[in-house]
Amino acid sequence: MNGTMKRLSDRILGGAMVAMLGLVLAFLVTPLLVTCLLAFDSRSFLGPLPPPALSLRWFEKLASLDYVATGLATSLKIAVLATAIDVLVGTTAAVALDRGDFRGRGLLMAAFLSPLIVPAVVIGLALLLFLSRIGVVDGFTRLLCGHVVITLPYVVRTVLASLAGRDRRLTEAALVLGATEREAFWTITLPLIRSGMVTGAVFAFAVSLDDVAVSMFLTDPSTYTLPVALVSSMRASFDLSIAAAAVLLMAVTAVLIIVLERFVGFDRLLGQGLFRS
Amino acid sequence: MSALTAARPQEPAIPSPAPARMTFILLAPGLLLLFGIFVLPLLGLGLESLRQYVPGRVGSAIDAPLTLENYRELATASFAGVLYETFKLSAAASLVGLLAAFPLAYCIVRRFSPRQRAACIGLLVMLVLLSMLVRTYALELAFGSVGIARPLLLALGISPTSRGYIEVLVGAGLLHAVMPICTLTLLGTIQNIDPRLCDAAQSLGAPAWKAHLGITVPLALPGLVSAFLIAMTFAISAFVIPMVLGKGRVLFLSNTIYTRFSDVANYPSGAAVSIAMLVISLVVLSLASLAHRRKGARS
Repeated sequence: MNGTMKRLSDRILGGAMVAMLGLVLAFLVTPLLVTCLLAFDSRSFLGPLPPPALSLRWFEKLASLDYVATGLATSLKIAVLATAIDVLVGTTAAVALDRGDFRGRGLLMAAFLSPLIVPAVVIGLALLLFLSRIGVVDGFTRLLCGHVVITLPYVVRTVLASLAGRDRRLTEAALVLGATEREAFWTITLPLIRSGMVTGAVFAFAVSLDDVAVSMFLTDPSTYTLPVALVSSMRASFDLSIAAAAVLLMAVTAVLIIVLERFVGFDRLLGQGLFRS
Repeated sequence: MSALTAARPQEPAIPSPAPARMTFILLAPGLLLLFGIFVLPLLGLGLESLRQYVPGRVGSAIDAPLTLENYRELATASFAGVLYETFKLSAAASLVGLLAAFPLAYCIVRRFSPRQRAACIGLLVMLVLLSMLVRTYALELAFGSVGIARPLLLALGISPTSRGYIEVLVGAGLLHAVMPICTLTLLGTIQNIDPRLCDAAQSLGAPAWKAHLGITVPLALPGLVSAFLIAMTFAISAFVIPMVLGKGRVLFLSNTIYTRFSDVANYPSGAAVSIAMLVISLVVLSLASLAHRRKGARS
């Protein structure tokens, strides 16, 4: 193949690549931008873009909806509680799994991560049947159980990854210098795995705040989470106050992203084992 | 490489006492939790799937006789239809997602400036963290039957309420979810490929497309396979996407399970579908870990 042909084909490939990347990014971002714009739309119907005037009417309507306030309160309570339980139990479990090679360690590790591979709907139905058999019918307890199950693996996984990535010689140095194992853990190991704990907590919180598949089974008539409430109203009518709710949820994600970037950094995030194949 | 095993510096030879009792105490709360609200419920689900169901009841009676009737129902044409729909759309979305994610991941790793790279990874992580419900709703708002794209669709002669279009829409929803995951997964794969191999091919006269097709793609193949299977496991268990975008016209396995629970209260049948779905996910996932192990063996 001669040089000009080669240069031509390289340029075509380069151009095709840029076009494709543009298309991909547009596909990923455009719907979100449309939602943001429409949430501030002043019209009472879904009209063509751009909206002639902006207003906060949909946010006002959202604030006036009782089920949104109830759902949001429950969602936040559950997400905070579940994340706290995850960080406590998950970190302890990960530290235990990291202590030396005992028999069945691989199996236990797989067991702690296994809720990730069981479809959420299956977990939801299983928990519902089990909890009602043993007499737990309270919506809040049921939701909390479900959310802890589906979010615990995130914390276990990220803490395990940061435990594996830490420099063990630092602990050794502390022990050599006379620290007890307990002191070495609290002053050396724990600060070293903090980024894993933060990443795990952020993911656990985000997953809990977003879950529909498990929560749909575990709600009771007076206790439901925000996503469950939104899905029901999404199916009932087409109302832009849901777009306003979507904007608020995007803002929550933005806060989570800032936390991640501040405490962990995106470069290290990829080493936390969440996106490994 | 697995992040769990990759970066472990030289194991200390110090005689760490690590009393087994302490390890056990630390493990106990997690194990208790896992057993109590995960393992037991799943076992219960397996048992429920074998119970006989009497129509009109809510769930099975405590002493209902055991039967395989619930599983026999899985052999019907309607169930096969749902299974086919789930797999067809999941495979299509995963494949397209992979095709789009690969060049994107390649550019992020090899072409972009550090600032562009950080911005891109930031966007992708944000998308992963962003509520699935928000993304699904956004797609509905943009491309749904009453969405912004409606005039455009009608002008093109596409009916936004036709089954074909709804299938495409559900596929697009899955694609939106799967693409960032694929891209982030592939970053590591591409990072591990020596860029000099491709440079060498090109300096020896190969055009870029040929160099990539002959070198980058084959070297990334195991990573591509496992990214595809990860996307598949995600897509086949999707719940919100087919429920919101499919509007009851396109049903996934997960939606069938929910309907058995909410509409007819036939828990034994829902449990049987759940067990079937669990088995399917496990099969796809074990294929993924097989691909991963082969990748590990090669590198």
